[in-house]
Amino acid sequence: MSASKNTQSTGMLPRLLSPAIVLLGAAGTVLWLGATMSGGETFYFWGIWLIAAAGALYLWRYRMLNGPAEFKDHLHRAGRTMAVPIMGVTLAIIIGGVIMLLTGYDPFEAYGAMFFGGLVRNWHISVLNAAPLIFTALSVAFAFKAGLFNIGAEGQYYLGAMAATWLSLRIAMLALVTIPLVFVFAGLLGAIWMIIPAFLKVRTGAHEVITTMMLAHTARYLSPIFIRANGGDPADSTHPYVTDKILESSILPRLQEFLPNANYRVHTGILIAIVVALLIHYILYHTSWGFEIRAVGENKDAARAQGISVGKNIFRALLIAGFLAGLAGFNQVNGLDHRLYENLQAGYGWNGISVALLAAGNPIGVVFTGLLWGMLDAGGQFMARTTSTPSAIVEIVKGTILFLVVARYIYTAIGNIRRRRQRERAAREQIAEDARQEA
Amino acid sequence: MAQPILETRHIVKQFPKVLANDDINITLNKGEILCLLGENGAGKSTLMNVLYGLYKPTAGEIFIDGKTVEFSSPRDAIDRGLGMVHQHFMLVDTLTVTENIILGSEPGKGPQIDYKAAWKQVKELSDRHGLRIDPDAKIMNLSVGLQQRVEILKALYRQAKILILDEPTAVLTPQEVEEFFTVVRALRDNGVSIIIITHKLEEVKAISDRVYILRGGKVEGERTTADVSKEDLANLMVGRSVVLSVEKKDHPVKPNPVFQIEDLRVTDDRHIPVVDGLTLDVHPGEIVGIAGVDGNGQSELAEAIMGLRPVASGVLNHEGDDIKNLTTKERIHRKVSYVPSDRHRYGLVLPFTVAENIAIGYHDRAPNASAHGWRLEYGAMASRAEQLITDFDIRTPGPLAPAGNLSGGNQQKVILARELTREPSLLVVNQPTRGLDVGAIEYIHSQILAMRDQDVGVLLISLELEEIFGLADRILVMYEGRIVKEFKTGETDEREVGLYMTGGKKEQSA
Repeated sequence: MSASKNTQSTGMLPRLLSPAIVLLGAAGTVLWLGATMSGGETFYFWGIWLIAAAGALYLWRYRMLNGPAEFKDHLHRAGRTMAVPIMGVTLAIIIGGVIMLLTGYDPFEAYGAMFFGGLVRNWHISVLNAAPLIFTALSVAFAFKAGLFNIGAEGQYYLGAMAATWLSLRIAMLALVTIPLVFVFAGLLGAIWMIIPAFLKVRTGAHEVITTMMLAHTARYLSPIFIRANGGDPADSTHPYVTDKILESSILPRLQEFLPNANYRVHTGILIAIVVALLIHYILYHTSWGFEIRAVGENKDAARAQGISVGKNIFRALLIAGFLAGLAGFNQVNGLDHRLYENLQAGYGWNGISVALLAAGNPIGVVFTGLLWGMLDAGGQFMARTTSTPSAIVEIVKGTILFLVVARYIYTAIGNIRRRRQRERAAREQIAEDARQEA
Repeated sequence: MAQPILETRHIVKQFPKVLANDDINITLNKGEILCLLGENGAGKSTLMNVLYGLYKPTAGEIFIDGKTVEFSSPRDAIDRGLGMVHQHFMLVDTLTVTENIILGSEPGKGPQIDYKAAWKQVKELSDRHGLRIDPDAKIMNLSVGLQQRVEILKALYRQAKILILDEPTAVLTPQEVEEFFTVVRALRDNGVSIIIITHKLEEVKAISDRVYILRGGKVEGERTTADVSKEDLANLMVGRSVVLSVEKKDHPVKPNPVFQIEDLRVTDDRHIPVVDGLTLDVHPGEIVGIAGVDGNGQSELAEAIMGLRPVASGVLNHEGDDIKNLTTKERIHRKVSYVPSDRHRYGLVLPFTVAENIAIGYHDRAPNASAHGWRLEYGAMASRAEQLITDFDIRTPGPLAPAGNLSGGNQQKVILARELTREPSLLVVNQPTRGLDVGAIEYIHSQILAMRDQDVGVLLISLELEEIFGLADRILVMYEGRIVKEFKTGETDEREVGLYMTGGKKEQSA
């Protein structure tokens, strides 16, 4: 996790580089996420060059600090971790292409449209799709680290959305006060929804897969009741199953406010999602809370023997997971819809599981897989509209990617079992040998 | 009169590094109960696995009914009339007794199972052998003793003429043991030949007709049970000279105990008492060795001391306070250190780095974390780990290597490095050298002795008598959850201790 200490210090330059890298990267990210195409013109896509420059500077700094050998090693390691997902995605796209060929569609035309739509023409939709996915995937990933499976992120997401709507309809204060309040409130309700599964898990051992899933459905069917209670007059709404519009002060700032040419729907939720992902990474790998949660997730017996409370950490991890999924609701209500629709925002909880799996539970990885998923959805819609290819092909590609990633898990699992068998055999033989030597 | 049904001639089993069976000749006669007695690692299980077709012998022959046989899998062994009941049962919990018994050789035509015929056969078998059981009961609703009956019936259903039972009483309650003995005698009287693998002397005396004693992969002797005393059996089983590998200096013991246990009672996961009124004390500067055969409550004792298992009653007095209601964390911070017997399960978080595994337990305090205990200081963890890697000679690519990549001996050294450098006042060590090579054992022994020389009170639990004799200043023999005898190390020998360990001799003691 941490940088090794054998620094080959070369003076001030590396230290000056760090803020430059962060600034370049952040600016590039904001620009790129705000990028759009309108009237045949593209805006802000050059942000990606800033990101690339930041990456290059980072690598250069790393090489200066650690020397060429360690640098090479670092690249190797990074390549190894990236290899499986990249191979999985490539393979899935090829398989999708073969299926299109067999069913009489033109894969080049279809994929051309998909990538153009997802990455350029409708990039803003990809970004809008990605934000809630990143939140729910972070929730699932966080629970993974504690050895738990939050399959019901959908439920906490709904609770967060209801909480965000409720509060946003009621408090009229400065946006600077309101938005953080709603943010925390939505997360809290998501966490509170998780208390029941967490309590049952710790007290009775009831499996969280069952309890969170059941509560997900409960939450989903609570939403119509909530919407009726907070709904506007069906007469002045285009959709009868919808709450009133939330107050202006609770609406998340749009990117347009500082990037004039950005698509007007794109809001700062995606930036919040990325910041939260970084924060979760920090909590998991740089705090004692994260240490305990990971220890419990990897080996709860050993953690317990070292005085780490298993129950407390399971409780904590599940509540934080609930908080994160609740934030997806906040993002959706305060960022995009500005009201709560019934049935219109379903699925981000379930899809978050795929996104978290694809990132192997890595909170930073979730940002990228979330964007990939969002891109595939947006691109798929564009492809279906502009070519005659059904968007189902994108679902096939998504399913294949997941399958290939899960296959990697199977592969590792087999490797683990084999290694354990070898170890056990060695231990048995060792015992026998000890006995021999004594005799 | 004695008609051999099973015979092994010159069985040798060579593992890559170990000779587990060395020229083993045993004979099982028709309709007798034969015991194979030996310590852990004496080669009993290897021999049984050879007989059952799980291992291929390196050399030697097996004869059944005077004809040589060769097994390439348990299937072959079953076809030749061998049945084996493992220590851990292989039953499907959610199926009924009948379903479990017929599983794998279901009667009926094609895909259809003739349940009626199966039920009748099971009923008939259980009546004939006096193995009373409800054929329709689900396995999960049966006691362990009854589950064992199902295992035996399973073997009989497959027409077993020879029954091999691996440590059959290890999981049974005393009442169940009595019933089990009755069943085994009934089976013998019905013409089944039985081999029982055990390390309990009492069991040998109670049930067997004849006994082979195994030690170090060789047959140490063969006796008719009626003609042999428990003392002789214990001698044959553990009798060997103590090899002191580590030099032990005399060290004065402090008069006031650092740790006292009074009348401790602890139950196991099935709520059966496993530590049953145990009393002991440990003084600073001495090693108290707990000798005992596996499964007499030693691990539960260690877990109770560390707060990993609830105490039913009794007092755990550490430096004047009863720590029985403290959390594990509080006990660790009171300077109670613990080296568990299963290092993969309880000792280490294998995917964590060596540095993290050394920090764990103190991970939320300086220098491993910031002053408020929130932010981890990986730099400090790594440099401390690097220091301990040097001090304890841990062979690892570095402090950031996952602990799972290390060899067993080096993993144990990581645990020792963590526990011994916490300046403990009490050190609980459970089987510290299990599965390690000689070099690692010697190193670990010297480290434990060094702790004693620094006036730490050490409670050493071990199944290896040699280890106990090599390290302990006082030896307490634990049998069925109690201390049955206390010795000064110099005033006894392994034979005597072995006799108490196996319940061969009991003493009324407080």
